[in-house]
Order: sequence, then structure tokens, then C-alpha cells
Amino acid sequence: MKRLIIAAAAFAALGTAAQAQTVRLATEGAYAPWNFIDESGAAAGFEIDLGNEICSRAGLTCEWVITAWDTMIPNLLAGNYDVIMAGMSITEERLQSIDFSDEYYPPDPSLYAVREGAAVDFDAASGLRLGAQTGTIQEGYLQATFAGSNTIVSYATFDQAVADLIAGNLDAVLADAGYILPIVAAGQGLEIAGPEVSVGGGVGGGMRKEDDDLEAAFNAAIASMKADGSLNALITEWFDVPNTFD
Amino acid sequence: MPDWLTNIVGSDVAAWLDYVTNGRHLQWYASFGYTIGAALLGGAVALVLGLTAAALRRSRFLPVRLASAGYANIVRGVPDVLFFLFFPLAFEQALEWIVATGACSVEERAASSALWPPCRDANIFFSTTQYFLLASVTLGIVYGAFASSVIHGATAAVPRAQLEAARAFGMSERQVLWRVQIRQMWIYALPGLSNVWMLLVKSTSLLSLLQINDIVMWADRLGAPNFQSRAGPIHPDWRWRYYLVLLVFYIALTWLSERFFRWLRRRAGRGMIAAEA
Amino acid sequence: MGFLEAIVSDIGSLAVPALFNVYFAVASIPVGFVLAVLLALARHSRRPVLSRFAAVYIYAFRGSPLFIQLFMVYSLMLSLNLSLWRPWGVDGFVLHPLFLGPLVLTLNTTAYTAEIIFGALRTVPQGELDAARAYGMSPWRQFRSVIWPNTIRVAWPAYTNEVVFLFQATALVYFALPVVDQQRDLMSKATDLFYRDFNVFAHYAVAAGYFLVISWLIFVGCGAVNRRLNAHVAPQRRVALRYAPKYLR
Repeated sequence: MKRLIIAAAAFAALGTAAQAQTVRLATEGAYAPWNFIDESGAAAGFEIDLGNEICSRAGLTCEWVITAWDTMIPNLLAGNYDVIMAGMSITEERLQSIDFSDEYYPPDPSLYAVREGAAVDFDAASGLRLGAQTGTIQEGYLQATFAGSNTIVSYATFDQAVADLIAGNLDAVLADAGYILPIVAAGQGLEIAGPEVSVGGGVGGGMRKEDDDLEAAFNAAIASMKADGSLNALITEWFDVPNTFD
Repeated sequence: MPDWLTNIVGSDVAAWLDYVTNGRHLQWYASFGYTIGAALLGGAVALVLGLTAAALRRSRFLPVRLASAGYANIVRGVPDVLFFLFFPLAFEQALEWIVATGACSVEERAASSALWPPCRDANIFFSTTQYFLLASVTLGIVYGAFASSVIHGATAAVPRAQLEAARAFGMSERQVLWRVQIRQMWIYALPGLSNVWMLLVKSTSLLSLLQINDIVMWADRLGAPNFQSRAGPIHPDWRWRYYLVLLVFYIALTWLSERFFRWLRRRAGRGMIAAEA
Repeated sequence: MGFLEAIVSDIGSLAVPALFNVYFAVASIPVGFVLAVLLALARHSRRPVLSRFAAVYIYAFRGSPLFIQLFMVYSLMLSLNLSLWRPWGVDGFVLHPLFLGPLVLTLNTTAYTAEIIFGALRTVPQGELDAARAYGMSPWRQFRSVIWPNTIRVAWPAYTNEVVFLFQATALVYFALPVVDQQRDLMSKATDLFYRDFNVFAHYAVAAGYFLVISWLIFVGCGAVNRRLNAHVAPQRRVALRYAPKYLR
């Protein structure tokens, strides 16, 4: 048994050797302009610029991990990375399992995108096919509001949901304004319709509850970026309809 | 794209060539290495495990025989994807559990908010490379079970008369096993092993389920519609084209493997009567 | 919650998801079998066009992973949605996992089964064929009375493996297709449960148990059919089905 422990510890040390200095930031890479993979193949977007700036202000060495959205919180808890920066809204439900840094993007309304000219009645919705990404606040809202008389389809990425909407397999997609507005503006025959939906708080970096030092370092950096206006500048740079802090 | 090449192929083709050689695509092409690497490594592990399990199946001790048969039948009785997801997770948790017995105090266990691992010090983080190795070994374990039953069957298929002839020459049991039975076994095992290899190759498509950024993940990301000019040209849903490339890749891999195994069988069957080989 | 309670509660919560796997298998195996017989006959036919087409189909579907076939067919069907499925009024239905899953599984099992049946077709003894012709049997009568009984008897053990394999392959459907109204199969549900409490041993063990039990039931059922098919064969020449399947497709 003793030898087994030593062997396992050695194996663990092999894996964790690099972890001490490097903070691993997880992002999805499929949620432009928040985070995406640019033409050169590197992670890019608002959160990537922001994360790099936070790390440099906090004096941390950071590394980006591109990973699937639906298993991000479990993998964070399991220690496969240290911070989630993937457009994740702060919600009561998520706060039960993880902590968030202070918000780095103010609460953003969610909007419905539909095909141009499609008269979708959201007030007396029935028989609609509505799409969102698995495990998002929008999916939760659709389930809570429309389940039963409508069909709710959950996708691995929001891009897949939008592809299905454009191809006519969905009546509407509910997504963050910051994500859906550039898509509608890109002239793919989509438009915004129906009510604005407010779910969730602002967006913050997700962290394990016990990582208080990391959280404090992040919060200090975010506060200094808010104070010197660089956070608002970054938001204005990346979003078509910027939702800045006052 | 150099000018002289643009002049030859025209600007449309050049733009298109530029697109499929941008950094994102290069990463996709590089990720084929994961697929091929996992297949080769998994195949090697499967062969070793298959031989070991088949040998243990002939052991004199009943528990060893039962363990070997149990391995072969249980692993083959569940979908490969189930074992593929289960084993790396279980392996990681088992390691963490072992570390936790030494590293975690009672207070630390109580303080930890997560359900797993028991405490922070017991957390093991696997790098992409380590996870990739783990995934490949898992493939090897799954298909080692298949290989073991192929090898077990092939060993039994070696004509008894040959073994008796070898004994009549005065070979010891060990010599009979190594010089006759195992050498002859290959001829009978190769068709089955080639089949196992094909299955293994196809199941390398599951790597993305273990959060490895493999060809399937990249095909999804590259093919997904793009509306952000900062992320490259705006284009609609192109996914099926990318998946078509993957299908062709796998079919080509199958075809190559078939040719390789045909060559191997001819080699192994040298000196055999054609009908038997 | 102790380990035992976790197991018991999982047996309950995975029962409905298991029905999805059974549904996928039941919806694809019979159709796939009929198509496979036709495809195998095409492959066996002396017309080069038919035979070539069948050979290419079989090679393509056996040579590529089901997982990618699922992705591929979904995105291909999606791209035809506006031009075909909507005008025909079958959109929503065509792309539903409960239709698309069995569709891809059918296409897939057709290829594997056709290969098995094609192999068996070639083992029909020439003497029996000659005898049938000497009796003046029509081609249909030859097929019905001589070729088919021989073929199916030879093909059945391998086909049993294929059925079990296909049942297990249903585990892949919800990893590739979007989830509609939280309908989930065994694997998808077990993974979901795992990410809630990290109890890898309970959830996956119960899912594995369901797969093992249902595979075994399929095996017993096919074994009964096998005995019927071999009823006229002398006992020492019968091929017995053993639950140590080769599982080689």
C-alpha cells in the first residue's frame, strides 16, 4: 500500500509540476465575440484579451485550454483547470457549486433570433421548436417557460443551434445579445423578435470555492481595469452593441 | 501564397488554398496525429494485453483463467464508448483516492466543497499528453479483450498433429509452445486481428469525448457557420464537407490497413499450402 | 448516499433511458435486415453495375466510424432542410434524433449485415443448386427453397453478433445528435449523472449492467432462432451459439 501511495504521488507530481505557477483558463472557443478560435488557430476574443490582461496585472502566468462547454463546471471542480472564462453568467444555481469573480461584463439581456419574416408568437407559444446550448441559462429558461407544448432542442455549441435555425430546423434561438447580434447583422436572413429576456447576472470568471487567493487576485485586477477604463475600452472594442459599466 | 503560384492557379483557387492552409486548418491537420497515434499505441497495447490474456487463459490456476475470461467477456459485453469514458475517469479517481489516503487530513476533507477529489492536495491534473496516453491505453484495453479471444481461438486452431509431431521429435513442452504452437498461431489469428485493428481504428473517432481536441472536434469548429469577420471569412454551415473529409480519411485508413494485413498474411503464410493460409 | 443506494437509485433512473437504446435497435434492425438481404443479392448478382454499387456501399459504411456517420448524416440532412424537408412538410421529423438515429443505424447495419449474408450466399452448395435446377424450379423457388434456408443458417451466428453490436452502438447516438426535450439514452444519462456527483463506479456500472443484460437477452432470443434453423441438421454438424461472441463486425 505504501509503495502504491508513493507511486501514485509520483505520478501526480508529474502531472501537477507545471500547475503551481501556471493558472489554467478554460474557454470554449465557439462563442464569438466572447471567445473563438481565430484564423491562426489560437484562442481569441473579448475574454481572451481580458484574461491575458488580468493575468499580467495580477502577475500570473496563464494558459488557455479549449474545452467543451457542457462539462466545464465538473472539470473545474475536478481540477482540470482553474478558471472558467467562457461567457458564463453568474447564477444562484452555479454559485452553489462554484464561486465567481466580480463580473467583467454587465448583465446582458437574452434575445430571440428568428428567420426574417417568421411570425413567431412567444406569448401564446405552442408547437414551437426552440433551441439553445446545453447547460446554459437560456436552455434553463426555455425549459422552465415553454416545455410541454413546445419542443426544446439542446445543442453542444450555440453555433450548432444557429446553424439549425438558419437551415429552418428551429423557430427561434435564445442567446446572449452580445453573441446573437453580430450573427443577425451578418445578413444570414435572421432577425431579432419577441421579448428581451433577462436571466442570470453579469458574466464572471468561474473558480473553485477554495481558491480564495486566485479569486482575490482576479477581483483586484478587474477592479483596476474598471477604474482605469480599460475594461470598458475592451468591451467597446469587441462588441457591436457594447454593454459597458457605468 | 507566393505570387507565381497565384498566377498559375488563378486568384479564386489561391484564396481557397489560402483558406485551407490557415492556422486553424493546420491545427486540424496536426490533430490527425492524435488519431493515428492513438490507433498505433492502442494497437500495441491491445496486442500485448491480448497475448497476455490468452496465455493466462491457459493457466493451471482456475482464478487466473477466470479473471482472463472475465476480462475478455465483460469488456466485450459493453459498448466500447462506455468503457472508453469509464476507464480514464475511474483510473484518475483511483489514483486520487490512493493519494488522498496519505495527503488529506480529516479537516481538509471536511473543508473541500467539491464532491471529488477528497481534498485539494489529492487532485491529479492530467496534461493533454497524459490524457491522450490514457485514452490510447483504454483503447488498447478494450480491443485487447477482443484480441485475446482471437488469439485464444487461433492457438486452439493449430492442428494437434503438428504438436504431436513436435513432441515426437523430442521437443520439450516449452519448445512445442514457442516454436510450433505460437508461430503457427499467427496464421490463424491474423484475419481476426486484422478485424480487431479495423474496429480499433474506427473507435479512435471517440477521442473528442475525452476532451481531446481531435479531428472530430476540429471538424465541428471549422465547419460551424462563422459570422465574425475577425475569426476569418464569413461562411454558412460547412460541417458536412468537413465530416466527409473524415469519412474519406477513415475509409483510406481501412484500405491501407487491409493491404498491410494482406501482405502480413502472405508473409506469415510462407511455406503453408495456399488453402490453409 | 452509500454505494448500494446509489446503485439502486441508478437502476431506477436509467430504466427509461434504456428504453431509448432498445427503441433505436428495434427501429433499425428489421429494416436493416431486409435492406441487407437485397444488398447482398445485389452484391452477389452477375450484373457489374449492381454488384459494384453494393460493394462500394458496403465498403464505405464498414470502413468508416458510425460516430462520424451520425455527424455527417445530420449535417447533410440539415443542409437539405430548406430545399426538401420543409416543402414536403417533414421537417422537424426528419432531423429528430428518434428518426435520424435509427436511419443512420439502419444504413450502418445494412452494410455489415449485407457482408455477412453475402459471405453466406457463397457457401450454398453447388450440388443443391444443380439439383434444384434439375427439378425445374423457377429462380424464385430456387431462392425460397434452397438458397435462402442455407444462407440464413450459415449467416445466423454472425448475424447474432451484429445485432448485439448494433445494440451497443446505439450508445453513440446522443453523443452526436442534439438532445430534444431532455430525451436521453443510457450513456448520455449516465454521463449526466456522473457530472453531478462524480460517482463513476455506480453510474457507469449500472449502465454497463443494462447493456450486458439486454445483450444477453438478444443472445438468448437469437439462440432460440438458431436452434429452429438447425432443426433438420444432424446434431454433430450443428453450429452452436455460445455467449462468447467474437463480436467482430
